[in-house]
Amino acid sequence: MSATELLIELILMPLVAFVVGMMMVLMMRRIAAKLQRRIGPPFFQPLYDIVKLHSKKTQVSHGLIHDIGIVMAMGGYIAAETLLPVPGMNGIAEKGGIITLLYLMMIPSLGLALGVGQCANPNGSIGIARALTAMLAYDIPLVIVVFGVAYAAGTTNLIDIIAVQQAGGFETWGATQMPLLAIAGLIAMHASLGKQPFEIYIAPAEIATGPMVEMGGKYLGGLFVMQCFQLYTTSVLYVCLFLGGGTNWFDFLLKSFLVLAIPMSIAYLFPRYRTEDLLRLMWKWPVMLGLIGVAFVFV
Amino acid sequence: MGSIKQIPVVEAKRTNPLARVFDDLVRFCRSRSLFILHYCTGCGAIELPPAMTSRFDMERLGIQPMVSPRQADILLITGYVSIKTLKRVILTYEQMGSPKYVIGICSCTVNGGMYWQSYATAKKLDEYMPVDLYIAGCMPRPEAVIAGLQQLMDKIHSGEASSWEDYYRNYDYYLGNQQKLFGEDWQTPTDVISEAKHYDLLSEGTLGDHTRLLEQHQKPLEALEMRLGHEQEEPAK
Ligand code: SF4
Repeated sequence: MSATELLIELILMPLVAFVVGMMMVLMMRRIAAKLQRRIGPPFFQPLYDIVKLHSKKTQVSHGLIHDIGIVMAMGGYIAAETLLPVPGMNGIAEKGGIITLLYLMMIPSLGLALGVGQCANPNGSIGIARALTAMLAYDIPLVIVVFGVAYAAGTTNLIDIIAVQQAGGFETWGATQMPLLAIAGLIAMHASLGKQPFEIYIAPAEIATGPMVEMGGKYLGGLFVMQCFQLYTTSVLYVCLFLGGGTNWFDFLLKSFLVLAIPMSIAYLFPRYRTEDLLRLMWKWPVMLGLIGVAFVFV
Repeated sequence: MGSIKQIPVVEAKRTNPLARVFDDLVRFCRSRSLFILHYCTGCGAIELPPAMTSRFDMERLGIQPMVSPRQADILLITGYVSIKTLKRVILTYEQMGSPKYVIGICSCTVNGGMYWQSYATAKKLDEYMPVDLYIAGCMPRPEAVIAGLQQLMDKIHSGEASSWEDYYRNYDYYLGNQQKLFGEDWQTPTDVISEAKHYDLLSEGTLGDHTRLLEQHQKPLEALEMRLGHEQEEPAK
Protein backbone atom coordinates (compact mmCIF):
# COMPACT_ATOMS: atom_id res chain seq x y z
CA MET A 1 0.00 0.00 0.00
CA SER A 2 1.38 3.39 -0.94
CA ALA A 3 1.71 6.28 1.43
CA THR A 4 -1.06 8.29 -0.22
CA GLU A 5 -3.52 5.42 0.04
CA LEU A 6 -2.67 5.04 3.69
CA LEU A 7 -3.10 8.76 4.25
CA ILE A 8 -6.49 8.72 2.56
CA GLU A 9 -7.56 5.79 4.71
CA LEU A 10 -6.37 7.51 7.85
CA ILE A 11 -8.52 10.51 7.02
CA LEU A 12 -11.51 8.54 5.79
CA MET A 13 -11.76 6.12 8.68
CA PRO A 14 -12.47 8.71 11.42
CA LEU A 15 -14.86 10.51 9.07
CA VAL A 16 -16.82 7.36 8.41
CA ALA A 17 -16.77 6.65 12.13
CA PHE A 18 -18.18 10.10 12.83
CA VAL A 19 -21.04 9.77 10.36
CA VAL A 20 -21.92 6.25 11.49
CA GLY A 21 -21.52 7.35 15.10
CA MET A 22 -24.05 10.14 14.61
CA MET A 23 -26.51 7.61 13.25
CA MET A 24 -25.84 5.47 16.29
CA VAL A 25 -26.63 8.40 18.55
CA LEU A 26 -29.83 8.87 16.61
CA MET A 27 -30.64 5.20 17.00
CA MET A 28 -30.01 5.40 20.72
CA ARG A 29 -32.36 8.35 21.11
CA ARG A 30 -34.99 6.76 18.90
CA ILE A 31 -34.87 3.54 20.90
CA ALA A 32 -35.30 5.55 24.09
CA ALA A 33 -38.23 7.34 22.51
CA LYS A 34 -39.88 4.12 21.34
CA LEU A 35 -39.54 2.56 24.77
CA GLN A 36 -41.14 5.61 26.32
CA ARG A 37 -43.83 5.71 23.61
CA ARG A 38 -42.63 8.93 22.13
CA ILE A 39 -41.85 9.84 18.55
CA GLY A 40 -38.26 10.76 19.13
CA PRO A 41 -35.92 13.24 17.51
CA PRO A 42 -35.78 13.93 13.76
CA PHE A 43 -33.17 12.25 11.60
CA PHE A 44 -30.60 15.02 11.61
CA GLN A 45 -30.94 15.88 15.29
CA PRO A 46 -27.41 14.81 16.32
CA LEU A 47 -26.01 17.01 13.55
CA TYR A 48 -28.16 19.98 14.58
CA ASP A 49 -26.96 19.63 18.15
CA ILE A 50 -23.31 19.51 17.18
CA VAL A 51 -23.53 22.44 14.75
CA LYS A 52 -25.47 24.48 17.25
CA LEU A 53 -23.05 23.86 20.06
CA HIS A 54 -20.07 24.79 17.93
CA SER A 55 -21.77 27.98 16.81
CA LYS A 56 -22.54 29.32 20.27
CA LYS A 57 -21.23 32.84 20.76
CA THR A 58 -20.03 32.24 24.29
CA GLN A 59 -17.25 29.73 24.66
CA VAL A 60 -16.24 29.55 28.28
CA SER A 61 -12.79 28.09 28.65
CA HIS A 62 -11.39 27.46 32.08
CA GLY A 63 -7.80 27.37 30.91
CA LEU A 64 -5.37 25.55 28.72
CA ILE A 65 -5.75 22.15 30.34
CA HIS A 66 -9.50 22.36 29.86
CA ASP A 67 -8.96 22.80 26.12
CA ILE A 68 -6.36 20.06 25.95
CA GLY A 69 -8.60 17.70 27.89
CA ILE A 70 -11.34 17.95 25.29
CA VAL A 71 -8.85 17.48 22.47
CA MET A 72 -7.52 14.38 24.22
CA ALA A 73 -11.03 13.05 24.71
CA MET A 74 -11.73 13.32 21.00
CA GLY A 75 -8.22 12.55 19.81
CA GLY A 76 -8.03 9.28 21.70
CA TYR A 77 -11.04 7.97 19.85
CA ILE A 78 -9.96 9.40 16.51
CA ALA A 79 -6.68 7.54 16.89
CA ALA A 80 -8.59 4.41 17.89
CA GLU A 81 -10.65 4.54 14.68
CA THR A 82 -7.54 4.15 12.55
CA LEU A 83 -6.80 0.88 14.34
CA LEU A 84 -10.26 -0.58 13.75
CA PRO A 85 -10.49 -2.42 10.44
CA VAL A 86 -13.62 -1.75 8.41
CA PRO A 87 -14.50 -3.44 5.12
CA GLY A 88 -12.02 -2.33 2.49
CA MET A 89 -9.93 -0.21 4.86
CA ASN A 90 -7.44 -1.49 7.37
CA GLY A 91 -5.61 1.71 8.22
CA ILE A 92 -2.79 0.90 10.59
CA ALA A 93 -4.66 -1.95 12.28
CA GLU A 94 -1.91 -4.38 11.40
CA LYS A 95 0.79 -2.32 13.06
CA GLY A 96 -1.21 -1.36 16.10
CA GLY A 97 -2.91 -4.49 17.28
CA ILE A 98 -5.57 -4.83 19.86
CA ILE A 99 -3.46 -3.92 22.89
CA THR A 100 -2.68 -0.46 21.53
CA LEU A 101 -6.36 -0.09 20.76
CA LEU A 102 -7.32 -0.86 24.34
CA TYR A 103 -4.84 1.74 25.55
CA LEU A 104 -6.16 4.35 23.16
CA MET A 105 -9.69 3.72 24.34
CA MET A 106 -8.67 4.74 27.84
CA ILE A 107 -7.22 8.09 26.80
CA PRO A 108 -10.61 9.89 26.50
CA SER A 109 -11.46 9.25 30.14
CA LEU A 110 -8.06 10.50 31.22
CA GLY A 111 -8.38 13.55 28.99
CA LEU A 112 -11.76 14.31 30.49
CA ALA A 113 -10.30 13.93 33.96
CA LEU A 114 -7.66 16.51 33.13
CA GLY A 115 -10.08 18.94 31.55
CA VAL A 116 -12.73 18.66 34.22
CA GLY A 117 -10.11 19.03 36.91
CA GLN A 118 -9.43 22.54 35.77
CA CYS A 119 -13.11 23.50 35.81
CA ALA A 120 -12.95 23.17 39.60
CA ASN A 121 -16.58 22.25 39.87
CA PRO A 122 -17.28 19.79 42.68
CA ASN A 123 -19.93 18.00 40.63
CA GLY A 124 -17.42 17.56 37.85
CA SER A 125 -14.82 16.17 40.21
CA ILE A 126 -17.28 13.68 41.67
CA GLY A 127 -18.26 12.72 38.15
CA ILE A 128 -14.68 12.14 37.10
CA ALA A 129 -13.91 10.12 40.22
CA ARG A 130 -16.88 7.96 39.36
CA ALA A 131 -15.94 7.73 35.69
CA LEU A 132 -12.48 6.47 36.53
CA THR A 133 -13.92 4.02 39.06
CA ALA A 134 -16.30 2.79 36.39
CA MET A 135 -13.38 2.40 34.01
CA LEU A 136 -11.64 0.27 36.60
CA ALA A 137 -14.80 -1.79 36.89
CA TYR A 138 -15.39 -2.59 33.24
CA ASP A 139 -11.80 -2.76 32.07
CA ILE A 140 -11.03 -5.90 34.03
CA PRO A 141 -13.69 -8.06 32.35
CA LEU A 142 -12.89 -6.36 29.04
CA VAL A 143 -9.21 -7.25 29.29
CA ILE A 144 -10.04 -10.82 30.27
CA VAL A 145 -12.37 -11.11 27.28
CA VAL A 146 -9.86 -9.61 24.87
CA PHE A 147 -7.14 -11.88 26.25
CA GLY A 148 -9.36 -14.92 25.71
CA VAL A 149 -10.15 -13.99 22.13
CA ALA A 150 -6.55 -13.16 21.33
CA TYR A 151 -5.37 -16.44 22.88
CA ALA A 152 -7.91 -18.46 20.92
CA ALA A 153 -6.90 -16.80 17.67
CA GLY A 154 -3.23 -16.98 18.55
CA THR A 155 -2.64 -13.34 17.66
CA THR A 156 -3.30 -9.81 18.85
CA ASN A 157 -3.72 -8.55 15.34
CA LEU A 158 -7.34 -7.60 14.71
CA ILE A 159 -7.12 -8.32 11.00
CA ASP A 160 -6.00 -11.88 11.69
CA ILE A 161 -8.67 -12.33 14.35
CA ILE A 162 -11.28 -11.30 11.79
CA ALA A 163 -9.75 -13.54 9.13
CA VAL A 164 -9.87 -16.56 11.46
CA GLN A 165 -13.56 -15.91 12.13
CA GLN A 166 -14.46 -15.37 8.50
CA ALA A 167 -12.73 -18.59 7.44
CA GLY A 168 -15.67 -20.90 8.13
CA GLY A 169 -18.67 -18.58 8.16
CA PHE A 170 -21.05 -18.53 11.07
CA GLU A 171 -19.51 -21.54 12.85
CA THR A 172 -16.13 -19.92 13.30
CA TRP A 173 -17.47 -16.65 14.66
CA GLY A 174 -16.16 -15.70 18.06
CA ALA A 175 -19.68 -15.62 19.45
CA THR A 176 -20.38 -19.26 18.44
CA GLN A 177 -16.96 -20.50 19.47
CA MET A 178 -16.77 -18.66 22.77
CA PRO A 179 -20.31 -17.78 23.87
CA LEU A 180 -19.33 -17.17 27.49
CA LEU A 181 -16.71 -14.63 26.50
CA ALA A 182 -19.21 -13.02 24.14
CA ILE A 183 -21.72 -12.54 26.95
CA ALA A 184 -19.08 -11.17 29.31
CA GLY A 185 -17.92 -8.86 26.54
CA LEU A 186 -21.44 -7.60 25.99
CA ILE A 187 -21.84 -6.70 29.65
CA ALA A 188 -18.45 -4.98 29.76
CA MET A 189 -19.33 -3.10 26.59
CA HIS A 190 -22.62 -1.95 28.07
CA ALA A 191 -20.80 -0.62 31.11
CA SER A 192 -18.19 1.12 29.01
CA LEU A 193 -20.91 3.05 27.19
CA GLY A 194 -21.93 4.61 30.47
CA LYS A 195 -25.64 4.13 29.95
CA GLN A 196 -28.20 3.14 32.54
CA PRO A 197 -27.97 1.09 34.74
CA PHE A 198 -24.24 1.87 34.66
CA GLU A 199 -24.71 5.59 34.21
CA ILE A 200 -23.03 6.46 37.50
CA TYR A 201 -20.84 9.26 36.25
CA ILE A 202 -23.42 11.20 34.22
CA ALA A 203 -26.30 11.01 36.70
CA PRO A 204 -28.06 14.25 35.66
CA ALA A 205 -30.41 14.30 38.60
CA GLU A 206 -27.71 13.73 41.15
CA ILE A 207 -24.44 15.35 40.10
CA ALA A 208 -25.71 17.44 37.17
CA THR A 209 -24.11 15.37 34.37
CA GLY A 210 -20.83 15.07 36.26
CA PRO A 211 -17.93 15.71 33.89
CA MET A 212 -20.08 17.77 31.55
CA VAL A 213 -21.35 20.21 34.13
CA GLU A 214 -19.05 23.11 33.26
CA MET A 215 -18.93 22.44 29.56
CA GLY A 216 -20.78 24.70 27.21
CA GLY A 217 -20.59 25.61 23.57
CA LYS A 218 -17.89 23.88 21.60
CA TYR A 219 -16.63 22.04 24.66
CA LEU A 220 -19.94 20.29 25.04
CA GLY A 221 -20.00 19.96 21.25
CA GLY A 222 -16.66 18.20 21.44
CA LEU A 223 -18.08 15.79 23.96
CA PHE A 224 -21.08 15.14 21.71
CA VAL A 225 -18.66 14.29 18.90
CA MET A 226 -16.78 12.10 21.34
CA GLN A 227 -19.97 10.25 22.12
CA CYS A 228 -20.46 9.45 18.42
CA PHE A 229 -16.95 8.02 18.29
CA GLN A 230 -17.44 6.15 21.52
CA LEU A 231 -20.55 4.34 20.32
CA TYR A 232 -18.86 3.49 17.03
CA THR A 233 -15.61 2.28 18.57
CA THR A 234 -17.26 0.08 21.17
CA SER A 235 -19.69 -1.61 18.84
CA VAL A 236 -17.18 -2.09 16.01
CA LEU A 237 -14.63 -3.56 18.40
CA TYR A 238 -17.26 -6.03 19.56
CA VAL A 239 -18.17 -6.89 15.97
CA CYS A 240 -14.50 -7.46 15.17
CA LEU A 241 -13.92 -9.66 18.19
CA PHE A 242 -17.03 -11.79 18.14
CA LEU A 243 -19.11 -11.36 15.00
CA GLY A 244 -16.45 -11.87 12.38
CA GLY A 245 -16.00 -8.27 11.36
CA GLY A 246 -17.67 -7.28 8.13
CA THR A 247 -17.29 -8.79 4.68
CA ASN A 248 -19.07 -5.85 3.12
CA TRP A 249 -20.42 -2.54 4.36
CA PHE A 250 -24.02 -3.66 4.61
CA ASP A 251 -23.12 -6.66 6.68
CA PHE A 252 -20.75 -4.62 8.81
CA LEU A 253 -23.14 -1.77 9.58
CA LEU A 254 -26.02 -4.14 10.24
CA LYS A 255 -23.96 -6.04 12.79
CA SER A 256 -22.65 -2.94 14.52
CA PHE A 257 -26.07 -1.34 14.82
CA LEU A 258 -27.65 -4.58 16.05
CA VAL A 259 -24.94 -5.09 18.65
CA LEU A 260 -25.43 -1.58 19.91
CA ALA A 261 -29.19 -1.96 20.00
CA ILE A 262 -28.95 -4.65 22.69
CA PRO A 263 -27.47 -2.49 25.50
CA MET A 264 -29.55 0.48 24.35
CA SER A 265 -32.82 -1.39 24.67
CA ILE A 266 -31.83 -2.62 28.10
CA ALA A 267 -30.52 0.76 29.20
CA TYR A 268 -33.73 2.75 29.16
CA LEU A 269 -35.62 0.21 31.21
CA PHE A 270 -33.46 0.56 34.29
CA PRO A 271 -32.58 3.16 36.85
CA ARG A 272 -29.03 3.67 38.00
CA TYR A 273 -26.74 1.58 40.16
CA ARG A 274 -24.57 3.05 42.84
CA THR A 275 -20.83 3.05 42.32
CA GLU A 276 -20.09 0.19 44.67
CA ASP A 277 -22.90 -1.88 43.18
CA LEU A 278 -21.43 -1.34 39.76
CA LEU A 279 -18.02 -2.49 40.95
CA ARG A 280 -19.47 -5.53 42.67
CA LEU A 281 -21.54 -6.49 39.66
CA MET A 282 -18.73 -5.95 37.16
CA TRP A 283 -16.11 -7.77 39.13
CA LYS A 284 -18.42 -10.67 39.85
CA TRP A 285 -20.49 -11.75 36.84
CA PRO A 286 -18.62 -10.72 33.70
CA VAL A 287 -15.28 -11.58 35.32
CA MET A 288 -16.57 -14.99 36.36
CA LEU A 289 -18.09 -15.66 32.94
CA GLY A 290 -14.95 -14.38 31.29
CA LEU A 291 -12.65 -16.58 33.38
CA ILE A 292 -14.74 -19.69 32.69
CA GLY A 293 -14.75 -18.72 29.02
CA VAL A 294 -10.99 -18.36 29.04
CA ALA A 295 -10.71 -21.76 30.72
CA PHE A 296 -12.75 -23.28 27.87
CA VAL A 297 -10.43 -21.59 25.40
CA PHE A 298 -7.41 -23.20 27.12
CA VAL A 299 -8.92 -26.68 27.13
CA MET B 1 -39.04 49.27 27.83
CA GLY B 2 -40.25 51.32 24.89
CA SER B 3 -36.98 52.65 23.61
CA ILE B 4 -35.52 49.26 22.72
CA LYS B 5 -37.08 49.35 19.29
CA GLN B 6 -35.42 52.65 18.42
CA ILE B 7 -31.87 51.50 18.88
CA PRO B 8 -30.43 50.90 15.43
CA VAL B 9 -29.19 47.36 15.10
CA VAL B 10 -26.17 47.28 12.87
CA GLU B 11 -26.00 44.04 10.99
CA ALA B 12 -22.57 42.83 10.00
CA LYS B 13 -22.40 43.05 6.23
CA ARG B 14 -21.78 39.74 4.57
CA THR B 15 -20.90 39.97 0.92
CA ASN B 16 -19.81 36.40 0.36
CA PRO B 17 -22.91 34.43 -0.71
CA LEU B 18 -21.48 31.28 0.86
CA ALA B 19 -21.24 33.05 4.19
CA ARG B 20 -24.93 33.82 4.00
CA VAL B 21 -25.72 30.18 3.35
CA PHE B 22 -23.55 29.27 6.30
CA ASP B 23 -25.27 31.80 8.54
CA ASP B 24 -28.62 30.45 7.49
CA LEU B 25 -27.52 26.91 8.26
CA VAL B 26 -26.29 27.96 11.69
CA ARG B 27 -29.53 29.75 12.46
CA PHE B 28 -31.51 26.75 11.31
CA CYS B 29 -29.50 24.43 13.53
CA ARG B 30 -29.89 26.81 16.43
CA SER B 31 -33.62 26.81 16.00
CA ARG B 32 -33.82 23.04 15.74
CA SER B 33 -31.68 22.18 18.71
CA LEU B 34 -32.74 23.84 21.91
CA PHE B 35 -31.52 22.78 25.31
CA ILE B 36 -33.76 24.08 28.03
CA LEU B 37 -32.87 24.81 31.58
CA HIS B 38 -36.11 24.86 33.46
CA TYR B 39 -36.00 27.04 36.46
CA CYS B 40 -39.03 25.55 38.07
CA THR B 41 -40.39 28.29 40.22
CA GLY B 42 -44.06 28.46 40.94
CA CYS B 43 -46.80 26.16 39.78
CA GLY B 44 -46.25 26.24 36.02
CA ALA B 45 -43.53 23.65 36.35
CA ILE B 46 -46.15 20.96 36.62
CA GLU B 47 -47.00 21.41 32.94
CA LEU B 48 -43.49 20.61 31.80
CA PRO B 49 -43.33 16.86 32.49
CA PRO B 50 -46.31 16.16 30.21
CA ALA B 51 -44.80 18.44 27.58
CA MET B 52 -41.57 16.47 27.72
CA THR B 53 -42.83 12.92 28.02
CA SER B 54 -44.87 10.64 25.83
CA ARG B 55 -48.03 12.67 25.50
CA PHE B 56 -46.57 15.77 23.87
CA ASP B 57 -42.91 14.79 23.34
CA MET B 58 -40.80 17.91 23.00
CA GLU B 59 -37.85 15.92 21.71
CA ARG B 60 -39.42 15.59 18.28
CA LEU B 61 -38.84 19.33 17.96
CA GLY B 62 -35.26 18.94 19.10
CA ILE B 63 -35.93 20.35 22.54
CA GLN B 64 -34.17 18.62 25.39
CA PRO B 65 -33.85 19.34 29.07
CA MET B 66 -30.34 20.09 30.28
CA VAL B 67 -29.17 20.45 33.81
CA SER B 68 -26.56 23.16 33.99
CA PRO B 69 -26.70 26.77 32.79
CA ARG B 70 -23.52 26.39 30.77
CA GLN B 71 -25.11 23.80 28.53
CA ALA B 72 -28.49 25.41 28.05
CA ASP B 73 -29.96 27.77 25.47
CA ILE B 74 -33.35 28.53 26.93
CA LEU B 75 -34.07 29.61 30.45
CA LEU B 76 -37.58 28.58 31.18
CA ILE B 77 -39.14 30.40 34.09
CA THR B 78 -42.29 28.65 35.07
CA GLY B 79 -44.25 30.86 37.34
CA TYR B 80 -43.98 33.56 39.93
CA VAL B 81 -40.49 34.61 40.96
CA SER B 82 -40.08 35.67 44.51
CA ILE B 83 -37.40 38.25 45.15
CA LYS B 84 -35.10 35.68 46.65
CA THR B 85 -35.57 33.41 43.63
CA LEU B 86 -35.01 36.25 41.23
CA LYS B 87 -31.46 36.64 42.48
CA ARG B 88 -30.74 33.06 41.56
CA VAL B 89 -32.51 33.40 38.26
CA ILE B 90 -30.31 36.34 37.35
CA LEU B 91 -27.14 34.52 38.38
CA THR B 92 -28.22 31.57 36.28
CA TYR B 93 -29.10 33.76 33.34
CA GLU B 94 -25.76 35.50 33.34
CA GLN B 95 -23.89 32.22 33.33
CA MET B 96 -25.62 30.86 30.27
CA GLY B 97 -23.81 31.00 26.99
CA SER B 98 -25.16 33.34 24.37
CA PRO B 99 -27.19 33.23 22.24
CA LYS B 100 -29.62 32.56 25.05
CA TYR B 101 -33.34 32.93 25.26
CA VAL B 102 -35.69 33.46 28.14
CA ILE B 103 -39.25 32.23 28.19
CA GLY B 104 -41.67 33.27 30.87
CA ILE B 105 -44.40 30.73 31.36
CA CYS B 106 -47.50 31.66 33.34
CA SER B 107 -49.22 34.97 33.90
CA CYS B 108 -47.22 35.55 37.03
CA THR B 109 -44.11 36.28 35.00
CA VAL B 110 -45.99 38.72 32.81
CA ASN B 111 -47.45 40.99 35.45
CA GLY B 112 -47.39 39.25 38.80
CA GLY B 113 -50.68 37.48 38.20
CA MET B 114 -52.45 36.61 41.39
CA TYR B 115 -49.39 37.67 43.36
CA TRP B 116 -49.80 41.25 42.26
CA GLN B 117 -50.22 42.44 45.81
CA SER B 118 -47.48 40.32 47.28
CA TYR B 119 -44.57 42.21 48.77
CA ALA B 120 -42.16 39.37 48.10
CA THR B 121 -42.77 38.72 44.42
CA ALA B 122 -41.07 40.33 41.45
CA LYS B 123 -43.92 41.38 39.21
CA LYS B 124 -42.62 41.81 35.69
CA LEU B 125 -39.83 39.52 34.65
CA ASP B 126 -38.76 41.67 31.72
CA GLU B 127 -37.72 44.46 34.01
CA TYR B 128 -34.87 42.33 35.27
CA MET B 129 -33.80 40.42 32.20
CA PRO B 130 -34.83 40.48 28.55
CA VAL B 131 -37.59 37.99 27.86
CA ASP B 132 -38.02 36.55 24.37
CA LEU B 133 -41.43 35.10 24.79
CA TYR B 134 -44.23 34.96 27.28
CA ILE B 135 -46.69 32.13 27.43
CA ALA B 136 -49.62 33.47 29.35
CA GLY B 137 -52.19 31.46 31.22
CA CYS B 138 -52.72 30.32 34.73
CA MET B 139 -51.25 27.87 33.98
CA PRO B 140 -50.79 27.33 30.22
CA ARG B 141 -51.46 23.84 29.00
CA PRO B 142 -48.65 21.80 27.41
CA GLU B 143 -50.10 22.56 23.96
CA ALA B 144 -49.64 26.23 24.66
CA VAL B 145 -46.10 25.64 25.91
CA ILE B 146 -45.20 23.74 22.78
CA ALA B 147 -46.87 26.31 20.54
CA GLY B 148 -44.84 28.97 22.29
CA LEU B 149 -41.64 27.03 21.83
CA GLN B 150 -42.44 26.65 18.14
CA GLN B 151 -42.89 30.38 17.90
CA LEU B 152 -39.51 30.83 19.51
CA MET B 153 -38.02 28.44 16.97
CA ASP B 154 -39.42 30.56 14.15
CA LYS B 155 -38.04 33.67 15.77
CA ILE B 156 -34.60 32.13 16.11
CA HIS B 157 -34.63 30.95 12.52
CA SER B 158 -35.54 34.38 11.23
CA GLY B 159 -32.93 35.95 13.48
CA GLU B 160 -35.36 38.00 15.55
CA ALA B 161 -34.66 36.31 18.84
CA SER B 162 -31.76 38.51 19.85
CA SER B 163 -32.94 39.71 23.20
CA TRP B 164 -29.74 38.47 24.82
CA GLU B 165 -27.98 41.33 23.06
CA ASP B 166 -30.45 43.66 24.68
CA TYR B 167 -29.17 42.70 28.11
CA TYR B 168 -25.75 43.98 27.15
CA ARG B 169 -27.02 47.04 25.30
CA ASN B 170 -29.28 48.16 28.12
CA TYR B 171 -27.49 46.71 31.08
CA ASP B 172 -27.87 49.93 33.02
CA TYR B 173 -31.65 49.70 32.88
CA TYR B 174 -31.78 46.09 34.00
CA LEU B 175 -29.17 46.66 36.69
CA GLY B 176 -31.12 49.65 37.96
CA ASN B 177 -34.24 47.57 38.42
CA GLN B 178 -32.24 44.84 40.08
CA GLN B 179 -30.67 47.35 42.45
CA LYS B 180 -34.08 48.71 43.32
CA LEU B 181 -35.10 45.28 44.56
CA PHE B 182 -31.92 43.89 46.03
CA GLY B 183 -30.26 46.99 47.39
CA GLU B 184 -27.40 49.12 46.20
CA ASP B 185 -24.63 46.65 46.85
CA TRP B 186 -26.13 44.01 44.56
CA GLN B 187 -23.43 42.34 42.52
CA THR B 188 -23.23 39.18 40.44
CA PRO B 189 -20.11 37.13 39.79
CA THR B 190 -20.37 37.82 36.07
CA ASP B 191 -18.69 40.91 34.69
CA VAL B 192 -21.41 41.91 32.24
CA ILE B 193 -19.73 45.11 31.09
CA SER B 194 -16.57 43.35 29.99
CA GLU B 195 -18.68 40.75 28.25
CA ALA B 196 -20.54 43.51 26.42
CA LYS B 197 -17.18 44.83 25.25
CA HIS B 198 -16.17 41.35 24.20
CA TYR B 199 -19.26 40.91 22.04
CA ASP B 200 -18.96 44.43 20.70
CA LEU B 201 -22.36 45.29 22.12
CA LEU B 202 -21.36 48.25 24.24
CA SER B 203 -23.83 51.07 23.62
CA GLU B 204 -25.21 54.13 25.38
CA GLY B 205 -27.51 52.03 27.52
CA THR B 206 -24.78 49.77 28.82
CA LEU B 207 -23.16 52.25 31.16
CA GLY B 208 -24.96 54.74 33.31
CA ASP B 209 -25.76 55.79 36.84
CA HIS B 210 -26.49 52.30 38.01
CA THR B 211 -23.31 50.76 36.69
CA ARG B 212 -21.40 53.58 38.39
CA LEU B 213 -23.12 52.66 41.59
CA LEU B 214 -22.13 49.06 41.00
CA GLU B 215 -18.51 50.05 40.56
CA GLN B 216 -18.56 51.87 43.87
CA HIS B 217 -19.82 48.87 45.78
CA GLN B 218 -18.16 46.17 43.74
CA LYS B 219 -16.04 43.78 45.72
CA PRO B 220 -13.40 42.01 43.71
CA LEU B 221 -14.26 38.37 43.26
CA GLU B 222 -12.04 35.89 44.96
CA ALA B 223 -11.53 32.27 44.16
CA LEU B 224 -13.11 29.99 46.68
CA GLU B 225 -10.76 28.56 49.22
CA MET B 226 -10.04 24.91 48.57
CA ARG B 227 -9.85 22.66 51.56
CA LEU B 228 -10.55 19.09 52.42
CA GLY B 229 -13.30 18.35 54.84
CA HIS B 230 -14.70 21.19 56.84
CA GLU B 231 -14.23 22.36 60.36
CA GLN B 232 -17.50 22.49 62.12
CA GLU B 233 -18.23 25.58 64.01
CA GLU B 234 -19.40 25.25 67.52
CA PRO B 235 -23.10 25.94 67.65
CA ALA B 236 -23.80 29.08 69.62
CA LYS B 237 -24.97 28.25 73.05
S1 SF4 C 1 -49.84 32.11 36.65
FE1 SF4 C 1 -51.10 30.80 37.96
S2 SF4 C 1 -50.24 28.76 37.69
FE2 SF4 C 1 -48.72 30.21 36.97
S3 SF4 C 1 -47.36 30.59 38.71
FE3 SF4 C 1 -48.94 32.17 38.70
S4 SF4 C 1 -50.53 31.38 40.05
FE4 SF4 C 1 -49.22 29.65 39.49
